[in-house]
Amino acid sequence: MKKHFLRNIAICSIVLLILMSAFAGVGCVDQGEDTEDSGTTEDATGEETVSGEIGITGSTTVLPYSTLAAEEFMIQYPDTVISVKGGGSGVGIAAMIDSTTDIAQASRQIKDSEIEEANNNGVEPLEHAIAWDGIAVVVHPKNTVSELTFDQLRGIFNGSITSWADVGGEDIEITVIGRDSASGTYEYFKEEVLGEEEFTENALSLSDNGLVKEGVVGNERAIGYIGYAYLDENVKAVALDAGNGLVEATPENIKSGDYPLARQLYYYTNGEPTGLTKVYMDFVLSDAGQEIVTESGYFPIK
Amino acid sequence: MSDDFANGTEIAVKGLNLWYGKNHALHDISINIPKNSVTAFIGPSGCGKSTFLRCLNRMNDLIPGCRIEGDVNINGEDIYSKDVDVVDLRKRVGMVFQKPNPFPMSIHDNIAYGPRIHGIKKKEIDGIVEGALKAGALWGEVSDRMGISALDLSGGQQQRLCIARTLAVKPEVILFDEPCSSLDPISTGKIEDLILKLKKDYTIVIVTHNMQQAARISDYTAFFLLGDLIEFGKTGQIFENPREKATEDYITGRFG
Amino acid sequence: MSNRYLKEKGIESLLFASGAVAVVALLLLCLFLFKEGALLFENYPVSDFLTDRRWLPTSTNPQFGLLPLLFGSLIVTVGSILFSVPLGIAAAIYISEIANPRVANFLKPFTELLAGIPSVVYGFFGLVIVVPMIQDTLQLPTGQTALTGSIMLGIMALPTIISISEDAISSVPRSIKEGSLALGSTKWQTIYKVTVPAALSGISAAVMLGIGRAIGETMTVMMVTGNSAIIPGFPSGLFESVRTMTATIALEMGEVPQQSDHFHALFAVGSVLFITTLILNIVASYIKRRYRFSL
Repeated sequence: MKKHFLRNIAICSIVLLILMSAFAGVGCVDQGEDTEDSGTTEDATGEETVSGEIGITGSTTVLPYSTLAAEEFMIQYPDTVISVKGGGSGVGIAAMIDSTTDIAQASRQIKDSEIEEANNNGVEPLEHAIAWDGIAVVVHPKNTVSELTFDQLRGIFNGSITSWADVGGEDIEITVIGRDSASGTYEYFKEEVLGEEEFTENALSLSDNGLVKEGVVGNERAIGYIGYAYLDENVKAVALDAGNGLVEATPENIKSGDYPLARQLYYYTNGEPTGLTKVYMDFVLSDAGQEIVTESGYFPIK
Repeated sequence: MSDDFANGTEIAVKGLNLWYGKNHALHDISINIPKNSVTAFIGPSGCGKSTFLRCLNRMNDLIPGCRIEGDVNINGEDIYSKDVDVVDLRKRVGMVFQKPNPFPMSIHDNIAYGPRIHGIKKKEIDGIVEGALKAGALWGEVSDRMGISALDLSGGQQQRLCIARTLAVKPEVILFDEPCSSLDPISTGKIEDLILKLKKDYTIVIVTHNMQQAARISDYTAFFLLGDLIEFGKTGQIFENPREKATEDYITGRFG
Repeated sequence: MSNRYLKEKGIESLLFASGAVAVVALLLLCLFLFKEGALLFENYPVSDFLTDRRWLPTSTNPQFGLLPLLFGSLIVTVGSILFSVPLGIAAAIYISEIANPRVANFLKPFTELLAGIPSVVYGFFGLVIVVPMIQDTLQLPTGQTALTGSIMLGIMALPTIISISEDAISSVPRSIKEGSLALGSTKWQTIYKVTVPAALSGISAAVMLGIGRAIGETMTVMMVTGNSAIIPGFPSGLFESVRTMTATIALEMGEVPQQSDHFHALFAVGSVLFITTLILNIVASYIKRRYRFSL
């Protein structure tokens, strides 16, 4: 009898131990990682070495720029690592709120609710506009439609217009291709074009600009919206009339602000950038960094 | 070997040889098996009696690497000729195996299986099933629970089910391959009684390693040893007055 | 003597602890999932969650309707089963009953290789090859549909179904196959009237595992189904773009602020997914037991 008793105690204590360590683990869920960040250090000879690691997360619209800028930066400063990830503006901002990224790249402005969220977590988002972008509304090159008013655009994307015939094309069903709700491009487009309304539930939700473009390339009935940098000769950008006449999506129109879907692209940091983050931000806003903006298909902020 | 059986010859085998790959397992077997009687094959383990039995319904065809030469005539027809329908042959020559092998279905469906695949119409099936179970001495025990799984029956009942299943396709010959070796004495007795009743309408060949069983139920007995047919004759003669020494040694238990 | 006894008991306890870890981990996962999911219902009625027809988590008036996601998952899963079960069982029958041994010895490990291909590769293949093919062949507005998802998931479930069904069919004892042949049935009749029914409990297990894999698949469906949160009809929904529960969680998980309603809503969807899989497993056990007319 005593043996059984002792054995049961042993088993219960082991199980209890497992349970307790599991609960302890659960409690640790909300810890963010600290990202490494060194910046410039002076070594024995007095020369400055820039070193360390930072991460940039968020918008797939800004992604092509960040990738190019990061590469250029790492060539200039070989002891640094800049890792760049997509996921959508929402993902980037959430990562900044959770302190798991140094820079959040976004193709829309941070929302008030997100600012509040950040403050609650001890994070003070600081906005840096780094480039101008235009949202190109694209269709298949074979599509006869090349112009749309904002009303027509709204109608197509909220589902009230379903046939190309209603906007001057052939009588074929329109396939609406869009982004998912984590995307800054999605949010921006929704706010500018749909206002308070929702996207049609039949719209495809794809996870990045590239997929939207490919979707339109492969489908003669499709219409989609992409960042200007993703525009190429395989798709056709539609001219838009927001009440001031038809404006095409060209660099001049975007820089001058005439194009109705021109917007800024942003980097957000937690307060004033320091260390390696500061070195990188300075680079981005320098002439060299802004040249890369043009290289990647967007428009310098100055 | 007797050639003038009371009811005639059912199966006539001449010069049968069988190889498993390179292994020459049956040597030049010739035997005539009488109609409507019970013929027993006896002999020590590995002597080829089961192998020879399976030649009679061409079950050895299923074994890869098995080659057969010689004549096997059933009612005058060579069953190994090229235009023989093996499926039809197996309908006419049924087999009951050593270990009962009922299908995982109800009792009714087990018996109905054979008639159904041979295209018997639905309304006749029930009658055939009942008839087969009666002929198989099982009807009384299961008539009120035909829907239960056959696997729920006892070993002896399962074996009688298998017999009834064979009877349902109305064969001419029934081959029994050591049918009682996995059964208790009481079930064995029931099956032996059944066999004695069946011989009136069917030609029965039974392989057994139990000499007493052979002596009890068979009319004719064949003794096999190491792939050869040593002796064949009336059961009484084989057991009381064997001609070959080997037969006598086996009967008297000098080797087993 | 007592030393040996302690050692025995020590090993027993260790083994018990290992088993316990698995169960405890699962239990805790479960609790966490349900707890976070239930927090949604402080601000959002359960009935709305279960009946709202739209999933609009980021709009000014958020709607968290489960139905489009649930039906999205269901239609893709059902489609994949319709595709993979007959094909898988036929392949299993071929491998175990008909193919000659050398062919079978090659085919079986080969199908198991297919099981090892990462799902994102399947998604990529689906996106680049199957989507345009469906769009062109069926003249649909887009090739990113539930049908495409079903086909890809069907292919992914095939190795599981083939492998386990083949095991089940091979384990059918030779004696009953011989019994059938001895009654004058052909090889085919034996296969479909005796062998396959006898292997049914194993085959059902295989199908259930296949379904389980299909319903839990994330990457592939996210890449090929178009992710429109609509409530699909049947069978018309097969040709429309749909969104599964799994894709929803994967697409939106990164951007939710912690502890927001959207955050809790995703956990609620995760809980539904968990419950669905649980029900499937229970049904699978029941089927296995019922078809145990078995051997």
